[in-house]
Amino acid sequence: MPRTRALSNHARSVLAALLDAGAGWSHGYELCRLADVKSGTLYPLLIRLEAQGYLEAEWQQPAEGGRPPRHAYRLTKTGVQLARDNPPERKVAARSGLRTATT
Amino acid sequence: MADLLCRALQFILPPRLRDWGLAIRYELAEIPDDTQALLFALASVRGLAPRALGQLLMHPFVALLGAAVRASRGFGALHGPRAVGALCAVGAVALGLVSMTVAGAPVRYLGVNAGALVLGLLLLALVSRIPEGAGRLSGALILGLSVLLLATALVGLRIEGISRWVKLGGVVVQPSLVLLPFMLAAFSRTRTPLATTGMVVAALAMALQPDRAMAAMMTATLATVVATRADRLTCLALTASLAAFMVTLLRPDALPAAPFVDQVLLSSFAVHALAGLAVVAGSALLLVPVLIGGSYDEERRATSLAFGSAWLAASLAAAFSNSPTPVVGYGGSAILGYLLSLSTLPRPVSARGGPAIAPPDKPLASRDSHSRIALA
Repeated sequence: MPRTRALSNHARSVLAALLDAGAGWSHGYELCRLADVKSGTLYPLLIRLEAQGYLEAEWQQPAEGGRPPRHAYRLTKTGVQLARDNPPERKVAARSGLRTATT
Repeated sequence: MADLLCRALQFILPPRLRDWGLAIRYELAEIPDDTQALLFALASVRGLAPRALGQLLMHPFVALLGAAVRASRGFGALHGPRAVGALCAVGAVALGLVSMTVAGAPVRYLGVNAGALVLGLLLLALVSRIPEGAGRLSGALILGLSVLLLATALVGLRIEGISRWVKLGGVVVQPSLVLLPFMLAAFSRTRTPLATTGMVVAALAMALQPDRAMAAMMTATLATVVATRADRLTCLALTASLAAFMVTLLRPDALPAAPFVDQVLLSSFAVHALAGLAVVAGSALLLVPVLIGGSYDEERRATSLAFGSAWLAASLAAAFSNSPTPVVGYGGSAILGYLLSLSTLPRPVSARGGPAIAPPDKPLASRDSHSRIALA
């Protein structure tokens, strides 16, 4: 049986942010803030997710004139499943009651 | 500044990822704070640039190897592995020259390698004109060449107690590197008692010189020949070679590494990544003719495999010991040896003359016209 590489917590956070957006489209800078990751982590991850079919991307024309188009992202059906199967670590910990108590 | 960084990133990204570079660049317009935008751009460059640069540096070599493999299939079907091998030799020598130039080798070194390439190509053209039927004489030829190797061990030029060179008109040549790959590939299809005696004498010469790299090449190649078609004579040759290899391991080899000659495969990366990649790509090119030779009949496939084993072993031995790095490192002997050994590979069907339908050692099964028509 092939072994799958475990997703990093950054990847899980990005997937969670995309999952929260549902059928809506997200953008790069917004994802960085929501998932608390740097763009240098986000974009390689988005490229990989798209290549693996977990993510769809499209160019969106700007609502107001004079601004450039934007690249927008949302999860595919398999991406949604991946995000559900891999919630961020702190959520897993909280759900199972293993989260370390803070003082 | 942030926009400039993103433009630079977009430029170095491979074509299939350029859209992502543009996406990052356009995203900057949505970041209200300039500092945040610059940090966003910097982090993006840090995340994607190493991968992009790596692909950019590798691209010429990957393209070159891909082209060589494609050429080996298309061009090789028309012109045979010898012609493909000659092109690979030209490519490997050129990559070697690039590597040596980057590493700051003397211009004379570059001239010697280029000169050896021209000489080798002429030698290949001359030897390729010999009809295949003359291959029946190769048992005697192998024995004769092995005596030359033995003579080198006994009366050749001695450096640091090691005798594996001869001086020819002011140029120092390593006969084993020129002749042994040819002899081994020829032996793979001429396993006569005479040829086997030649192999035993050659093994003795390698033990006496002593030459670990060449003894390792001999052992690896003969093991390949045994694996493809084992018989008593080949096993005897392999045993002699293995014994010679053991002797070379026991005898001291205190020859220091020569710059641009020995251990180039690994050390070139320490000089510059480009030099290292050129050496690796050039060494890989040397094995491309095997892809063509493998598509011929069993006899010729065995010769192609022996040819490939010999040069693979020589390259690996050079990576780990103080012995010349074939073709891509400085030294004309390996270039001559590579091109000479190409002459053992099958020629294209249309170019074969005479009774090429029978292996060189074996008599024709029948000389009647019906058999000839059936075999043509």
